[in-house]
This record gives sequence, C-alpha cells and structure tokens, in this order.
Amino acid sequence: MTTEPPVAEVEPPLLSVENLSVTFHTDKESIHATSGLDFEIERGETVGVVGESGSGKSVTARALMGLLESTGELGAESSIKFRDESTIDRLVDDYPNAVGRGDGSSEDGTFVIDRDDGNRYVDLAKAPDQAVNQIRGSGIAMVFQDPLTSLNPVYTVGNQIKEALRIHREIRGQEATEVAIELLEDVGIPDPARRMREYPHQFSGGMRQRAIIAMTLACDPELLICDEPTTALDVTIQAQILELLQELQAERDLAILFITHDMGVIAEVADRVGVMYAGEIVEKAPVGSLFESPAHPYTRGLMSSIPSRNLDSDRLETLEGEVPTPHESPHDCRFAPRCPEAFDACHETHPNAIPIEGNADHTASCLLYPEDIQTEKAVARHTRPEERDQTETGDDTT
Amino acid sequence: MNQDTETQSTTGNALDAVRANPRPVAVWGAVAALLLLPELGAVLASVAEAVAILVSLIPGDPGAALVTDIQRAVGDIPTLLSRETIPNRGYYDGSQWQGTFAGLEPRDAWLLRAVLIYTYALLVFWWVVVGYRWFRSNYRVSDWTPFDDMLDRFRTHRWGHFGLLVVVLFLILVVFAPSLSTTTVDQNIVDPYSHEISYYDHEVESVEQTTVGTANRESQSTGEENIGPWTYDDYGRFHPFGTLPSGKDLFTFIAAGARVSLVIGLVAIGLAGLIAVSLALLSAYYQGLVDLAVVLSSDSIQGLPSLLILLLLSVLLSDTWIGGIYSGGFVLALIYGAISWPFLWRALRGPALQTAGEEWVDAARNFGQAPHTIMRKHILPYIAGYLLVYGSMSLGGAIISIAGLSFLGLGIDAPTPEWGRAVNAGQEYVASESWHISLIPGVLITLLVTGFNALGDGIRDAIDPQSDTDSGTESAATGGGA
Repeated sequence: MTTEPPVAEVEPPLLSVENLSVTFHTDKESIHATSGLDFEIERGETVGVVGESGSGKSVTARALMGLLESTGELGAESSIKFRDESTIDRLVDDYPNAVGRGDGSSEDGTFVIDRDDGNRYVDLAKAPDQAVNQIRGSGIAMVFQDPLTSLNPVYTVGNQIKEALRIHREIRGQEATEVAIELLEDVGIPDPARRMREYPHQFSGGMRQRAIIAMTLACDPELLICDEPTTALDVTIQAQILELLQELQAERDLAILFITHDMGVIAEVADRVGVMYAGEIVEKAPVGSLFESPAHPYTRGLMSSIPSRNLDSDRLETLEGEVPTPHESPHDCRFAPRCPEAFDACHETHPNAIPIEGNADHTASCLLYPEDIQTEKAVARHTRPEERDQTETGDDTT
Repeated sequence: MNQDTETQSTTGNALDAVRANPRPVAVWGAVAALLLLPELGAVLASVAEAVAILVSLIPGDPGAALVTDIQRAVGDIPTLLSRETIPNRGYYDGSQWQGTFAGLEPRDAWLLRAVLIYTYALLVFWWVVVGYRWFRSNYRVSDWTPFDDMLDRFRTHRWGHFGLLVVVLFLILVVFAPSLSTTTVDQNIVDPYSHEISYYDHEVESVEQTTVGTANRESQSTGEENIGPWTYDDYGRFHPFGTLPSGKDLFTFIAAGARVSLVIGLVAIGLAGLIAVSLALLSAYYQGLVDLAVVLSSDSIQGLPSLLILLLLSVLLSDTWIGGIYSGGFVLALIYGAISWPFLWRALRGPALQTAGEEWVDAARNFGQAPHTIMRKHILPYIAGYLLVYGSMSLGGAIISIAGLSFLGLGIDAPTPEWGRAVNAGQEYVASESWHISLIPGVLITLLVTGFNALGDGIRDAIDPQSDTDSGTESAATGGGA
C-alpha cells in the first residue's frame, strides 16, 4: 500500500484485509488457496463472501481466525488489520515490545500499531498464536457450518456456554448459569433453563445452531464470521437463523462476515458482497448493484443459475467445468477456461480490480473492463505497471 | 428396586432431587453404614496410617504424638473379619483344638474366614452398583448420558463379565491379603525364627514349643518330602496351596505377592499411561513437527532391546533408595513404564488425532479456549476409554513381564513375595510330587492376565461397538514379552 494521509473524519473499518494469500504446502505440491485478497468490514455491516466449493471461502475465514492447519502458510505481504479499541488496549498492555509506529519502516516482531493520529490496529497476520488466541472469541468469533459437530457431545449445552462465559467475561457459578439462560433466551430457545441441562444430541439442528450462536455471543465478539451457518439446515430453519442473526446484529452493532455459496442467502443478509473464484475476489460490490448489474462474467454466470431470477427459462444455465486448484500464483485470469467471453489475452494477463462505471465501491477483475475504452487499451491497463499504479491511486482517492 | 420413586425431576440439580425424595438415599446410606461396620477398625486404621505417613513427610513432625494417639485409639476398634476375631491358628492338645475359632479345626476356621471375607467384599461391590443404579433412576438430572449406553453394552458382554469377575476376585485378594492368608508374612516368610508356635507332638503326646523357622524346615516340599495343597503339616498348620521348597506357606506367599504384582502393574502402567496420554494429546493437538518428534522417540524406544534395558537399569539403580522398595520391584516397574509407553501411545494417537479433527475442537479454539484446556476437556474424554482398554490389557502384560523376570531370577529379589519367584522356586519339582509350587502361581498368573484382557475387551466393545474384537488383543497380552 502506498503511504496515504489518514482520513480522520471517516472511521476506519473494523477489519481490513490486505493482500491476503494463503498457501498450503504438501510433499507433492503447493496450493495457492487464496491470493491477494483485499476487503474491508465496517462495524455493524454484513459482508457476504460467495463462491463455489473450493473457491477458498472457508480458508479465508480460517486465516482470519488464525486457525489454518499446520501446512497452511500466510503470505509475507498479507495483513489482517483489526481495529477494536479494547482488544488493542489489552494487547498493548500484554505485549509492550510488539507495539510499532506503523510508519512504513520495517519493524521486526511488531504487530500492534498505535499511532498518535488515532490509526490503531492489530495485525493478526503477524501476531503470534498466543496473541491471536486472545482475539478469538472476544474479538472475532466464528459460527461453523455444521451445528451437528461443533458442539462437544459429552458436555451439556449449558456447560459449553458457561465455559465461554468463564473465559471471556470471567463469570462463574450461579451468575454464569443465569447469563447462559438469558443468552439461550436471546437466541430464541424455548424453556432455556431446562434445555441448558440437555446434551447436544437432544437438540434439533436449528436449535443447535442457535445454541452455537448463543455460545459465540457469550464471548461478546465485535466481528462474527459465519461459515455457511445455514447450509446444513432446512429452508424454514435457515430463514429463522438469518432473521436471528440480523436481529442480533442490530442489537449489538455486530460486524458479520457471511460466507455462503447461496446467492439467495447473500441477497437477504449482505450489505456488500465479494464474489470469490479460485482464491481471488473477482467482483466486489454493494449487494444492490451486484444483483442489478453483475459485471464479471463469473458473477453473471452465477446469477443465471438462480432459479427465482430466471423464471421464464426452461432450463437454468450452468457454468461448465469446475473451480481449478491453483498450483501457482496467478498470471492469467483463472476463470478464462470456463468464461464464455474469454479471448486470447485472458490466458496471459492477470486482471486487476477495475471500478465499474466509475463507482469505486463496485469493482471487477476482468480484462473486459474498463468498458468505455477499446479492449486492447483495457488489457494494457491490466498489464502495464505504471498504469496499474495510476488505477490504484485513482482507486484510493475516490 | 424402587421403581415407584422413578419420578424424575428434570429441573433443579441433584441436591434438590434428594430433598424431594430422600428415601432411596437414606436406605442406601443406612445399608452402606451397616456394611462398613464389620471393617470399621481396618478402614479407620488405614486412614490413620495414611495420615501418619503424610504427617511424617512434613518436616519437624508437628503433631506426631497426636497422630500416634489417634492410631492407638483406632487400633482398639475391633475389625470383625480379621485374623484376631476368627483365628485359624491353634494347636491340638490331644482332645480338641485350642486357640482356633469356636474350637474348629484350622482348615474349617480359615475356610470360614475366607468365605466370609469374599461374601462381604462381593456384597460391598454389589451395593456400590446398586447405589449407582438408584442414583441414576432417582437423582441424576440428565435422563441420559453417553456412559449409559456403554454400561448397557457391557451388561450383555459375557467375556467381559468373566474378566470383571477375575479382576474383582483378584482385587479382593489384594485388599484383604493379610486377613485372607493363613498366617502372616512377617511370621512365616520374613522373620520365621523370631516367632514361636505351640504344636502337639504325637511322639511324646504333649504340647511343645518351637520356632516357625524350625517348623518350616520340617514342612518343605521338595519332591521327596511334600506338603501338598489342602493338607496339614506336622505342626498342625493348614496349607491351602501347600508349601514352598523352603517350607513357607504358598497361600500366604501368593496373597502377599498379589499386592506386589498389582502395585507393580499399576505403577508401570500408570507411568506408561501418563506419558502416552500426554504425548498423544500433544501430537494430536500440535501435529506436524511435535508429532514427528514423538514418532521418532517412540520408534527409537521400541527399537531398544527392552529386556536388556530393564536388567541394565535395574542393576544400575539397585543401590539407590528407590531400588530398595519391594526388593527392586518398584524401580523395575518404573523402568517398565518408561520403556513401554510407545505401545500405549500408538494405540491412543489414532483416536486422539481423529478427535482433534472434530469441529468442536475448532469451535473451542475459535472461542479462545487455551490449548491445554482443549486437550483436557475436548480430546481427553474421547481417548480415556481407549486408555482404559489398552491400559487394562497392558496391565496383564506388565505383571507377566515382571513375573517372567523374577522367574529368571533377574527381577524381584527375596524376601519380597512375588508370583514369578514362586514359579521359579518350584521349577525343579514340576515333575515330582511337589508339582503345586510352580503350577498354582503359574495358573493364577495366566488366569489374571486373561482376566485383565477379557475386561479390556469388554470395555472396548462397550465404548466402541464398531471396533473389531480380534485386533490388538494378542500383542497386548504378551506385553513386554519377557
């Protein structure tokens, strides 16, 4: 990132992810699960991440939580800037040696940036696991895909909620029981005092997901990562859970990162959306403009596969093929082999994010853009570094 | 039993449930107290002794006098099922038995005491089981826990029942060893020349005095002379299992040896289990390099010739204070534990890795649970069962290994009674009239190890009904293979 003057009036986003790359190294090969992801999440907003299976959605979520498997490695350029005052204060106290000025000079081992101008953040990509562990739960909490397996079957539901309360709010005993009952009531579980003492297998799928949400709320997080929280549930329960999440978000000013492959769910919950393909965000837009005018051919393909948007067609259009496994860092458009609009340059040039119709909120990484100039010139925008710089600076100032 | 009180309270905790329905707990407690009464003296004496040992560990010995007073006072409380209350040792005065219980002959007095002790102990065991059932049906808040299914599966497992029976009978022998044996270890085995007994000399037809040592010398089982099982010697002493070549009582030797065997087995497997569980948790949680390091060290240890290491280290450590406990048996057990953990660890690593991959472990990490808490609360419960299974199987292996070493004359030295030593002592007389010396302890060792394996099988099938019954048993049973 270039050095830019801090904008004092605008509150910086709660979480900014910059250039996030995750590579998995195995004996035979390296897999670039995500490469160069950039996105932000503001307080109180829901950012949706949508993409096919294998596009790197869950890896992104796990990278944010520092829960990558041991073979996964964050790129050196990656940064995950988390700006929660109480978390930063605590880390400044706990790790005085790790506090840096963040003025561009390379400071080894610093991960908490505390600048006088108020730009304070903790970089989760550089923080050691112990420090990240302090942020898990109280700063960022995650709701997993499968409610059947994310509760430990040998402890009662109440026991597990109380455990979270003990860790994050230091509430114990009778008081913890009362708070846990309140939490279960908040997430809409009837007769919470009794259900507290039951084991996970005695709960239905939807109830279990509610209990898990109660458990994450017990940690009082600022950011909630929902990794396909409704995939394992049937449609009516799915709607209830989405509604519950929206209520809780309004009550607690929660930021939510919502990961799903379901465009319908995205339309319902998200404020802004990132479309992922093979480890990259190919299009980023506010939810309205994404559904009104999808720019990237991949997004358009996804749209045409939603039944309710294509009522007049006999058959839904499908995207042929599947998401490739990226073995090297991108040097072409990864969607090109499946893209109906691909041309020769697509196989040689890696596209950059280009604002659509001058709207900086809506970007697409596709050689077809900018639309208003000739294709050759547009391709040149993506290849020539000086022009790319121009584009990026333009990006930042608008 | 108490089917009428099965009304469950689902709200409130167990204490409220007791308040609402105090009858079962009152009945159970009253019967338990009644059951405790016959052994009150022994129980209090062991508690007082434990306190005394703890106090003696505190520097300066504060309150040592008080503890001695308490021990003395406790010593006066009678124990019903003891040698003192039902004595079996006496002498024939020409017309009737003197000194035995109700003038019975020593055999019948001893038999009476043994039967009473076993009945009593089995009754206590049964009553504990009843207590759990009553708790489950009357007071437990949850109407189902995962443990219930395991118990139900174990209930129909005949082979497991056989193992449980053998192990329980063995444990009773261990706990009541001093009361069950026909004479005391001190008098008969450790220090026979300091104790005198009276006996009826048939030649002079009068009661004479002699030392136990002299009597032992006259009661040897060496093929030519023989005191077989279930017979009297010339001094009116009854020997349920016959005598050793030294003339000592084999049953007393075996009862005391059972304690030694169990302690050695528990220490060895306890240590091995502790190491194995800790390493299994670490390698499952951290994986990668940690796992590799443990794999390498486990392979290296398994590559060592364990018999040689056992001998080498036990000789090296024999002069230290720790080498003196149980005539070297304790240190042998520690060494056995320290080199046999790889087997247990291998058995636990798989389930631990599998559990570490479960989503609730991720979920726990995700809400900031500390690594050691995750290992303890979210992984350990799932491998505890496997530890129980493989632990009980290896316990037999440990006992048989150390008995094997003692048989070779390399394990536990005299005078500590140990089963392997008895087998060794009877070696030359196997084909003679004194076959009982080797055969009886040998059969008992085999039975005990089979029992532990059967119990392990039963527990495994109870915990994990999908598991294959045939796998793992053989290698576990042989244990150290010494």
